[in-house]
Amino acid sequence: MHSHVGQGEVVLERILILLLFLIGFAGIVGMRNIIKKIFGLTIINSAVVLLFIVEGSRIGNSAPIIDAEIGLVVDPVPQALMLTAIVIGVCVTALALALAFRLYKAYGSFDIDEIHRQVHRES
Amino acid sequence: MIPILLALLIILAVYTLASADLLHGVIALSGISLISALIFYLLRAPDVAITEAAVGAGVSTVVFVWAIRATTRRASPVKNAGSSSAAVLPEDESL
Amino acid sequence: MSGRARRILFLAQIALCVLLVAAVLIPVFLSSMPWPLSARDYLQANGLAESGASNLVSAIYLGYRAFDTLGETIVLLVAISGTIAIIAHGGAVLAQGYGLPSGTASEPARHLPPKTRTELLEVVTGKLGPVVLVFGVYVMMYGHLSPGGGFQGGVVIASGIVFLALGSRVDASNSLTSPENLVRIESAAFALLLLAASSGIISGSGFFGNPLAGAGLTPVAFIITLNAIIGLKVGAGLGFMCIAMLGRGK
Repeated sequence: MHSHVGQGEVVLERILILLLFLIGFAGIVGMRNIIKKIFGLTIINSAVVLLFIVEGSRIGNSAPIIDAEIGLVVDPVPQALMLTAIVIGVCVTALALALAFRLYKAYGSFDIDEIHRQVHRES
Repeated sequence: MIPILLALLIILAVYTLASADLLHGVIALSGISLISALIFYLLRAPDVAITEAAVGAGVSTVVFVWAIRATTRRASPVKNAGSSSAAVLPEDESL
Repeated sequence: MSGRARRILFLAQIALCVLLVAAVLIPVFLSSMPWPLSARDYLQANGLAESGASNLVSAIYLGYRAFDTLGETIVLLVAISGTIAIIAHGGAVLAQGYGLPSGTASEPARHLPPKTRTELLEVVTGKLGPVVLVFGVYVMMYGHLSPGGGFQGGVVIASGIVFLALGSRVDASNSLTSPENLVRIESAAFALLLLAASSGIISGSGFFGNPLAGAGLTPVAFIITLNAIIGLKVGAGLGFMCIAMLGRGK
């Protein structure tokens, strides 16, 4: 039993989530500011969580809470996994920001080229 | 409904990475979390929606705002003030 | 190489990276394999009977996949202590009372200057703090019947603790927002989690097994206890980290 989205909309949702992932990845690779790299990390996290929940919700049409009369339930396993993933994601973000903070205190800038120059000038 | 919200997410993500002010980027990031929470609710995942809303709009924003407050708010050191590089996407400065 | 050529080369490299990642991910995102239905069918038929919780997501992360939860609490513990350690030894402005030698902090913990401490902030966050806290405890304790549970209630409790810390007056000490109490709550919750997990061994249903299954009490009491413990741990841990970063404390 499928939920009521057509085949075209399925592909459209997947492509949009893939675009979100690629934007986050381009942020990590292409941005020079460390904080913007961490922005990209958070965006990738959101894209993956969205993918799991969107795909898991296609096979049913009611929330995973057993009640008296409900139809088929959406898949509860990806939801349980994504709970853990969200909390761990915020922990990783906090740790990354703490490291970025230390870099700023040591070199005075968030720009990785600037930090690279200073490190090579010191060595 | 869902594809429209996903397109809105993409627009917010591009704004997050392209904004010159880091604080604006943080607010856009919490907007991404909020719209994700709405999508999760529409997709019959209430537990994930509660967690994403509380984490994204609460704890994650606090951590980002602390990092920006303790250091700097601009995305790049201003080399030539008043130049036109702020109008287009400044590719070699605020990347 | 001129500046413009270097910029174009840089953009071409970024585009190549993104295209390679897209080429790897497209078979994953656009696969036409059908989503397996066996997990959902089994859980919908047996989840309520085996664990006693109507909320299937709670039954999963506290019953069928409880080791994931244990690993997640360990990750929380390590990440929070690592974050505080990295910040504190960099001479950051942290809340007082962390037991650091006074030479490391560059300046004592500062509260907001009087101009910024508007009444709006104090009234809104200080009065809303207990409301959010009560809501968090409700979400935590009702996790077996309605959407909610340990993680969900825990992060709402963390937000409530941040509200309380933002809205407290300069010289008022709130026992819920002092760092030592939060650290004690988090450590005690972790120890209780291990204790509750080992209680299954004594009753013969294995590590993290439900010791009340087949006994007189309903097995859902174990789920509620685990929810409360995890909620306290997540809430106290994340609240402690946020308060340390805000520079507020006693």
